[in-house]
Amino acid sequence: MRGLIYIYQRTIANNIKRALKRPVTYLWLAFGAAYMGMVFFGFQSMIQEGDFGTPENIVAVLSIIIFAMIPGNIISYSKRKGLLFRPSEVHFVFSAPVSPKMVLMFEGAKSFLGNLVIGVLIVICGGLWFHIAIWQLLAYCLFFVVFESILEATIIIFCFGNEYFSEKFFKRLPLVMYLFMTVVAGTAFYKLMNGEPSFALICDYFAMPVIQLVPIVGWNVAATRLIFLGPDMFSLIGTALYIVSVIGMFAYAWKMKCTGEYYEDAMKFADDYQKLRNNQKKGIISVPWKKKGKLREASVEYKGSYAKAIYFRQMLEYKKSPVFIFGWNTLLCLGLGIAIAAISYFNDAIGEFGEAKIFIVPAVVSYVVFVFSGYATKWSKELENPYTYLIPDKPLKKVWYATKIEHMRAVVDGILVTLPGAIVLGLSPVLTVLTVLLYICLNANRLYYNMLADVLIGNLFGNFGRSLVRMLFQGFAIGIAVVAAVIGGMVLSVEAGFFLMILVMSVLTFGGAMVASLSFERMEVIE
Amino acid sequence: MLEIQELTKNYGKYLAVDHVSFTVPTGQVGILLGPNGAGKSTIIKSIAGLLRYQGGVGIERMPARSLEAKRVFGYVPEVPSMFDALTVREHIEYVRRAYDSDITEEEVGHLLARFELDDKQKKLGRELSKGMMQKVSICCALAIKPKVILLDEPMVGLDPAAIKELKEVVLELKAQGVTVLISTHMLEMVKDLWDYVFIMQKGKIIGTFDRQQQGDADIEELFFQITGGGESE
Repeated sequence: MRGLIYIYQRTIANNIKRALKRPVTYLWLAFGAAYMGMVFFGFQSMIQEGDFGTPENIVAVLSIIIFAMIPGNIISYSKRKGLLFRPSEVHFVFSAPVSPKMVLMFEGAKSFLGNLVIGVLIVICGGLWFHIAIWQLLAYCLFFVVFESILEATIIIFCFGNEYFSEKFFKRLPLVMYLFMTVVAGTAFYKLMNGEPSFALICDYFAMPVIQLVPIVGWNVAATRLIFLGPDMFSLIGTALYIVSVIGMFAYAWKMKCTGEYYEDAMKFADDYQKLRNNQKKGIISVPWKKKGKLREASVEYKGSYAKAIYFRQMLEYKKSPVFIFGWNTLLCLGLGIAIAAISYFNDAIGEFGEAKIFIVPAVVSYVVFVFSGYATKWSKELENPYTYLIPDKPLKKVWYATKIEHMRAVVDGILVTLPGAIVLGLSPVLTVLTVLLYICLNANRLYYNMLADVLIGNLFGNFGRSLVRMLFQGFAIGIAVVAAVIGGMVLSVEAGFFLMILVMSVLTFGGAMVASLSFERMEVIE
Repeated sequence: MLEIQELTKNYGKYLAVDHVSFTVPTGQVGILLGPNGAGKSTIIKSIAGLLRYQGGVGIERMPARSLEAKRVFGYVPEVPSMFDALTVREHIEYVRRAYDSDITEEEVGHLLARFELDDKQKKLGRELSKGMMQKVSICCALAIKPKVILLDEPMVGLDPAAIKELKEVVLELKAQGVTVLISTHMLEMVKDLWDYVFIMQKGKIIGTFDRQQQGDADIEELFFQITGGGESE
């Protein structure tokens, strides 16, 4: 245990020391404080204007949190995924002479600390916005921090450390919890549909005796009601049952045999999580629990050499994939396209916007491409491959052939995002094609400006910093292109304006790609 | 002493280790040899308590999962993983506290100097190269002052000087009565070290050799004699 305490102490101290030396920390702190301030005052005005600040309402809000949090914890812990062990802990802690239960408690410390933060927030918000007496708030904070943490600790030990119940039991437990949550949400929804939809209905729902007598979760709600709203028969019974059950579960967890068999699952999850973190750092979005699909047999004819080989190799890899070059982004584009069409149809966008309807789809896709950072696919892996740099060809050519498939994918995505809206809004074929071209151009612009940001600042400010720099460049490019479009539209025609916009964007994108091609020249990143 | 009794490990339907039993007596060096996928790492991870398994593992006649056994057990995994925000020296300090080791400051300094880490004591885990991580990992295992030590492919990533040093360390440990088990592909690296060789294939021990009985026999010859052919990897 002394060793674990030492790790925590030194890790916190070293991280603080390191953070204080980095200017970006102060930037983040300022940003965080401003954001928190915005959230605080936003909620404050919402609660005050909506006359929401009553003890009944805070009880309902806390009840929703309780009903989501406890089953959620059980689901993640019974899947042995709720605690994030690191490979370093697997190496140095699992083989150390530390009780496996103690290891679980130290790993769960972040959650317990989270409970403390939630408890303090409840005191602040309850006092400021919900007009609750300070003794009630402090009593609830104490109750929440102590009992919720003990409950969570016992759930962790029961789910992770249990060597008595079978694997099947822990595979079925999440299903039971999902079923429970579905029933609760379903009955709440039914109640909402059969009454005048209002927050008061949710308050009534959680006041129902049957809800307060649901084991553990409902009993917790009963205790919350007892502290904030005063005693009644059900809140007293529920609270007593809750306290007895938590103490009983704690005693069981204390006595339960645990030799550390969970280390195997924790080790696997640590590896998966590490891969996920590494991918996130590179901007690759992956689903850690998703099993890799089987690859198909495929072949490709290399029609060219040097940098072209990169394109054909990528094509071979994609042909082996069951979904070819498509993925979740394709579905997202289709969803967005349908959403634009549906919203336009149901809100009579043609009547509302008149001639300006032609700008609806371009405006939405521009916003989406501008705000979202995009995702890294096979092209970004080329930068990690030494052979990319050794291929005897010009860097710009390498950039083009490494990203060629991205443009092909953008064509399909562009059609999916544009076509449904274009049909509903009655856009001409020329304007539809121009909108698709604009999407392709914006996508290419984002891709190369991301690369450009990488060349200019590397990992200096992390992924977020890179995205900000990219947004700055792209904002300039879009601004210039829009000016060109307005001039073209006023002098010639709307179609000419669109075309001019795409042309200007293409030139600026090409310029960005030329500078960005430096990243294909040498294998190093600015740290 | 390290005792493995009827160790069996399944990954779903795949049988990775099939009723393996062997013993490395106190103060002896055992070498676990075998091609990739033979089950060496699974055995090592089972002994280290990282996997579920059937059968028994004893460290100094204590169940391997007991805290008493873990107190006298050092482990160098195949792939070292450092705490990002802990310095080299802090890694050693953690081990000293976690195992309540009586290693002195002077001994720590000497250990770090042997593996050329004395000038890198303030480097953070995230700043270390793979080779340096391996050296830190070895130093941490030695800082426990173990009675049984497990080294999984310990030479991978080490420079020639560190390999030479590690070989000397293993011989010193043996002289001090420490039981050593090394899993490796590198026959050349362990030919002067072994007392017992356990050759694995497809999850089973297919040959066991005792140096006292084999005399000056070459480990490489013994390996190919039993596995047949030159596929030593």
